[in-house]
Amino acid sequence: MTFLGLEDLQWIRLATIVFAGTFFLGTYSALKLRRKTGRPYILSLVVFGWALQTFGLYARGLEYGGCPLANKFELVQFMVWSAIALYIFIGPAFRVSLLGVFTSAFATIFSILSLSVTSWDNLNRTPIFGDNPWIEMHAATALFSYGVFGILALTSAMYLIQSRNLKKKKIGGLFPYLPSIVELSNINMRLAWMGFAILSVSLGIGSFYWAKNLDSVDFVKLSATVIVWLAYGILAILRASQTLTSKRYSWSSIILFALALLSLGAVQDKEPKTLSTIVELDR
Amino acid sequence: MSSSKSRFLIISINHENVPLEQRERYAIDDDQVEAIYQPCDDSEFVTESLILNTCNRFELYICLNSDKNEEDALEILAKFYELNIAEIKEHARLFEGLDAVSHLIEVSAGLRSQIIGEVEIYGQVKNAYAYSYKRKSVGTVLNRIFQKGFQAVKLIRNSTQIGEGQVNISNVAVNLSTKIFGNLKGTSALILGTGEIGEKTAKALKSRGATHFGVASRTLSRAEEVAGEWGAVPIAMDQINEYLDKYDIVLASTIVEEPLITKKIAQKALSKRKGRPLFLIDLGMPRNIDQSCEDLDNVFLYNLDDLAAIAEENQTQRQRAVADSKAIANQKSEAIWANLVTRGQVQ
Repeated sequence: MTFLGLEDLQWIRLATIVFAGTFFLGTYSALKLRRKTGRPYILSLVVFGWALQTFGLYARGLEYGGCPLANKFELVQFMVWSAIALYIFIGPAFRVSLLGVFTSAFATIFSILSLSVTSWDNLNRTPIFGDNPWIEMHAATALFSYGVFGILALTSAMYLIQSRNLKKKKIGGLFPYLPSIVELSNINMRLAWMGFAILSVSLGIGSFYWAKNLDSVDFVKLSATVIVWLAYGILAILRASQTLTSKRYSWSSIILFALALLSLGAVQDKEPKTLSTIVELDR
Repeated sequence: MSSSKSRFLIISINHENVPLEQRERYAIDDDQVEAIYQPCDDSEFVTESLILNTCNRFELYICLNSDKNEEDALEILAKFYELNIAEIKEHARLFEGLDAVSHLIEVSAGLRSQIIGEVEIYGQVKNAYAYSYKRKSVGTVLNRIFQKGFQAVKLIRNSTQIGEGQVNISNVAVNLSTKIFGNLKGTSALILGTGEIGEKTAKALKSRGATHFGVASRTLSRAEEVAGEWGAVPIAMDQINEYLDKYDIVLASTIVEEPLITKKIAQKALSKRKGRPLFLIDLGMPRNIDQSCEDLDNVFLYNLDDLAAIAEENQTQRQRAVADSKAIANQKSEAIWANLVTRGQVQ
């Protein structure tokens, strides 16, 4: 399906180029020119890339008449789209230097990965959410929470880099441009609660649907999602109670995000069968 | 003010070519600055004048009628200082025309300062200009040179690393504090010892927003005395363990035989800090804080050598930026001077 004369994948490739360009501009400026690219420039570039990606996903969505969440490629793209949206709309409130550059790196890596593994973009897919808007909302909010957890992984990485710089007394590299560790630690806390709250809403919407359609419940999918939800909840509680230090919390956030992504892959492999059932049930 | 062509000169007595004991002869206060302006105002051949007077630098920026030369300008200073022209010539450096414009930009950008890239001089030049402007001693030539010169300074500071990084120990420590705590508003600092470096750092922290201070000394009476001056809480040195967890930044600069803060003490304080980091700055010799404290997660320990190394690295970085900055200063001064020549305002 084309939109404004370009295919969905063409829009997404263009978006990836813009994200990669933003990342290179930001890092080259900081490390080579020793000058931070202004937040308005980075934000404008990221917004531009996000708009291109939105056009791509919209073109893809026109094919189904719904959210494009039918295969791994689309799930990854939607998660990246969510993370970027979070940076654009909430990121400025955090006032975190280099967050735009790190988010661009995140978008570039996952976008290139999803475009490279062609088998992820299975064109013979079954529309996985049928025409039920509630379960589609459940999936979209769940993926949005993954976007939040993705940003949390990024700010955690920033915390670890800055903390290491301070410990090792290295004032070069990214040190002058990264925020303070206390600010990053506070942001990490807020992001964990935010992601946890969004995933809770997602599960709430899902459970409302599943209660009416018990046969449609995929145990693996439900278990994986609940484990991710519980893990982030426990992580946030442990941090809030000071049981986890900021450093361990940051490492945990990164590892947990990697595991959450892996679980997403496993869930997706199981998806077509279950969702075909959902579609049939809806009929 | 004359509308004919002027000669633009700078007579500069500064730290670069005059030792401190000689510079002292030329040190003047604000009233005396006014006393130099007065003969310039009264002179028939001085069209514009501006005096820059700092602890390291006395400079007279002056525009003369085209038929006059530097001897005439020097005579004004010679009369004021009650010296002969030859004596002043011995200490003063003279800049004229394009070189003078370039000199102004380099001075304002901190390229001629003792601490390369320091920003205070820019404020001092701007104040000197504002004062001269207010008393109507500057006219079309100096107005243009200073206003365009200030733009060049901004360009230098924004496009080079001349002002990057802190180059004195107190400011390096404060800068590191901001990398740990972010905005220092509401942060607290405990100063162990009542020496000058502690006071300087406390002042620098206060200027950046730190609000709560404690000062510890061997005797409570001495601590009370200094705490009164700083607006801090007095603490006897043998009681610091009880207070350590209440402070974000601990700066130690006293003379001790054994470290005042051991790993065990730091660990105990850390456990009560609810996850907030602890920044330990050890400026003592011998060291006041056990080096093993840095093994603790969320404790950041910097000693005198660490801070000095950072200051030196920043200084080196600034030195590297001098060539780039001078190139910009030359390019901009040529443009400013060419414009004045085109307008027929200078010769």
